[in-house]
Amino acid sequence: MTTNRTGRILLITLPLLFLGAAFYYPLLRLFREGVTEDGRFTLRILQSVFTDPYFQRVILFTAKQALWSTLLSVAIGVPWAYLFTRYRFPLKSTLRSLTIVPFVLPSITVAVGFILFFGNNGHLNRMLMSLFGLESAPLRVLFSLKGIVLAHAFYNAPLVARMVNAQWEQIDPAYEESARALGAGRVRRFVGITLPMLVPGLMTSSALAFIFSFLSFPIVLALGGAQFTTLEVEIYTQFIVLFQQPTGAALAIVEIAISLLFTYVYIALEGRFSHPIGGAPRRATEPLFRGWHWSKAILWLFIAASALLVLGPVVSVIVDSFTRQWGGQAVFTLQWYAAIFQPEYSALIGAPPLRSVLNSLRTGGAAMIAALALGVPIAFVIARYRFRGRRLFDTLVMAPLGISSVALGAALLSAFLRPPVQLGSTWTAIVLAHAILAYPFVIRAVVPVLEGLDRGPVEAARSLGATRWRAFMDIELPLIRRGVLVGAVLAFAISLGEMSATIMLARPEWKTMPLVVNDLRSARSFGGASAMSCLLMAATAVAFVVIERFGERMFGGAKWSKSV
Amino acid sequence: MRTLYCLLVVLMGFSLLAGGEVERTPLVVYTYDSFASWGPAAAIEQAFEELYAVDVQFVAIADSRTMLSRLLQEREAGRQGADVFIGIEAADLARVTAFDLFAPLSGTDLPNLTGVPSSLRLDPAGALIPYEHGYITFVYDSERIGTDTLPRTFDELLDPAYENRIILEDPRTSAPGLSFLLWTIHEYGDPGYLDYWRKLTPNVLTVAGGWGEAYDLFLGGEGPIVLSFSTDTAYSVIDHGSARHKVMLLNNQGYRNIYYMGAIRGTDHLELATAFLDLVLSPEIQELIPTTEWMFPANPAALLPVSFYQYAVTPPQPVMVAPEDVLKHLDHWLREWAAVILGG
Repeated sequence: MTTNRTGRILLITLPLLFLGAAFYYPLLRLFREGVTEDGRFTLRILQSVFTDPYFQRVILFTAKQALWSTLLSVAIGVPWAYLFTRYRFPLKSTLRSLTIVPFVLPSITVAVGFILFFGNNGHLNRMLMSLFGLESAPLRVLFSLKGIVLAHAFYNAPLVARMVNAQWEQIDPAYEESARALGAGRVRRFVGITLPMLVPGLMTSSALAFIFSFLSFPIVLALGGAQFTTLEVEIYTQFIVLFQQPTGAALAIVEIAISLLFTYVYIALEGRFSHPIGGAPRRATEPLFRGWHWSKAILWLFIAASALLVLGPVVSVIVDSFTRQWGGQAVFTLQWYAAIFQPEYSALIGAPPLRSVLNSLRTGGAAMIAALALGVPIAFVIARYRFRGRRLFDTLVMAPLGISSVALGAALLSAFLRPPVQLGSTWTAIVLAHAILAYPFVIRAVVPVLEGLDRGPVEAARSLGATRWRAFMDIELPLIRRGVLVGAVLAFAISLGEMSATIMLARPEWKTMPLVVNDLRSARSFGGASAMSCLLMAATAVAFVVIERFGERMFGGAKWSKSV
Repeated sequence: MRTLYCLLVVLMGFSLLAGGEVERTPLVVYTYDSFASWGPAAAIEQAFEELYAVDVQFVAIADSRTMLSRLLQEREAGRQGADVFIGIEAADLARVTAFDLFAPLSGTDLPNLTGVPSSLRLDPAGALIPYEHGYITFVYDSERIGTDTLPRTFDELLDPAYENRIILEDPRTSAPGLSFLLWTIHEYGDPGYLDYWRKLTPNVLTVAGGWGEAYDLFLGGEGPIVLSFSTDTAYSVIDHGSARHKVMLLNNQGYRNIYYMGAIRGTDHLELATAFLDLVLSPEIQELIPTTEWMFPANPAALLPVSFYQYAVTPPQPVMVAPEDVLKHLDHWLREWAAVILGG
């Protein structure tokens, strides 16, 4: 029993020690610059940020656009979650795996897709103009708040859909059945029973959506323009352009404080609404393509509209990767693919594009495993133990999400250049940096399902002599597998899409796919960048489907049927 | 979980094994991504490795400012990240000099520097060596704007005919964007430039984050005028067979940008680094600059390709704000500018 106890303590303290050394300590060192002057503590810099009317406006706008983006992401994501929970249709699990693909796209690719599709001269407007014989573009989406909010929803709605779906599948349909038997209508059942039980997943995913939109930077500038300046633009300017570390650090403190404040509120709400859900039997699903109901028509309409939002920009990038301009005409070409598929693409020193695919997949796989190893024990602590300051702890472990990407790159580089995690610019450093960025997703995906779990079966197993470890492996893990899987997939996605830490740590031979997209763009090979983005989408799509198939089998499938 | 930890240990072990290769004396060069992916880096590496028993390693992961900040971070941690840095812009010259990052070099170490005009050599300490230069100008779509209606002065750019038609870059995040801001300050002074920007705003379609996004918008037909480079027509003709995108000069001016490189102070290979810089200035390498970097070579001994000579525009009146002034006022200029753009 004692070895078991030691093992448990190690399992929990090791991840925390590592995070402290490799992330929290360097972060605090960086932030110290924002609150010191000539070696002495001061609040003057922070104060000057808060009292400056310019920064006030920037902070307010940053929060406002993030709020709108979150609302739209939830409004689009929840019906998709409903679709995945309630209906069955061919290729459902594949489609569900694919929903996360937009999440890994470099923001610059998304911006390009949006410009090509939603632009005043984009596919959508040109289509509408020729359809209705209009003189000018009817949909003015770009260069306004609308464009920014739509692009953020493009990223975050799939996230909401996945997390809410995972929560929904844990809800025992018996509750709804009883309400139905008692005469409650569809709407009443949803508002009175399902919705409150969905709140944890809803809160979690909207907290993530808010933070992402709050920190967004290239998307805002590309689709909105400088008149829509966010805090992150200012942080970038202070750190990279003006070398004003103290002001930059002070702004980064403000940014992370606001992100974490939101996280804290969400976590508090999440706790209030979390119910023991029990070992929910698999929910019965209905075939999507049979039977008719007015609600289905609405769902169909909704799905079609939101598919346009997600597919439009993606398809535009795909089309772009097959066209080139010659003599003022757009012509079909395979040259961009030919260029990136050359094994020794001479122009790219270090990592030919194909190698970057392998780099991304290897790094993503390793980072995913490391993120699970970091995240699952911490999620377990948060969900299972009651201690003072638990919510604060839960909020603080989310810090890698809420930090400015510029500050993060600097903090991680500084961490990996010094003892005790002196890895320098190695592959391991990149993997660990990605894992640090990704483990909060594992926590957010696992905690709600773990909290919602009925503890009865675990206690029964323990009283029958099972060790805590065994009880976790045989009972809890299979029950929370959807949560763990979602966390794993998100961790993998974060690693594939990550740029700011990779830029600071990578050697050329470890370039990942998004960096090559950037390379090609800065080399004016816009078509090549689109082709590389398509390759990124394809590789990610395949990887997601494989992870989910393999994951379903690894945690759960068989054990689950045994325990039923 | 246990399986996960085991897998993790194995993976980490793997990466340690993979790291141990035997190498020649490495010469690490930090530079911006396009210098390596598009520019003359491959040719430089090959030429230098033929002359010396070294392994030239280009680390070109991001734009030059980000690479510079990575170098500074590494320095602060006591690491010699690189031996050579390529890609400091003239506007950042004074700011970078303050970090004392570069080793001073004497002219005799760099025979190829002799021919480089003194107008390009702006670092008084001689540590930062110019290797190319160019001009920021506007570029227009000649199928959407006729030559007769073309704006030719700063004032004509304010014409309501161009409402929402000009695509700019953000001076805070993009080098061409900063050049244009400095250009308006050169033209109208401080605070006159703010007034000009206030009048210009209605004609600005958007202020994009970077040159790439701005050019994407331009190519996508969102706006017919974009802030870009005076070599764009040459690029368009040589690479796309079309002279549709033409350079347009305001007041016969173009904002001059000069790009610098240097040997990092404290390098163990100062002699090699110096020889490397000299090679970049050699006519053979400089002749690659026009069609890889789409810039003018710093060494006038380099011959230009005919179509580059024909289509790349050299503005009659190049303008530039002194790097010392940029260092002194940039913070303030950017802030005031941002307030105008935000409508304050």
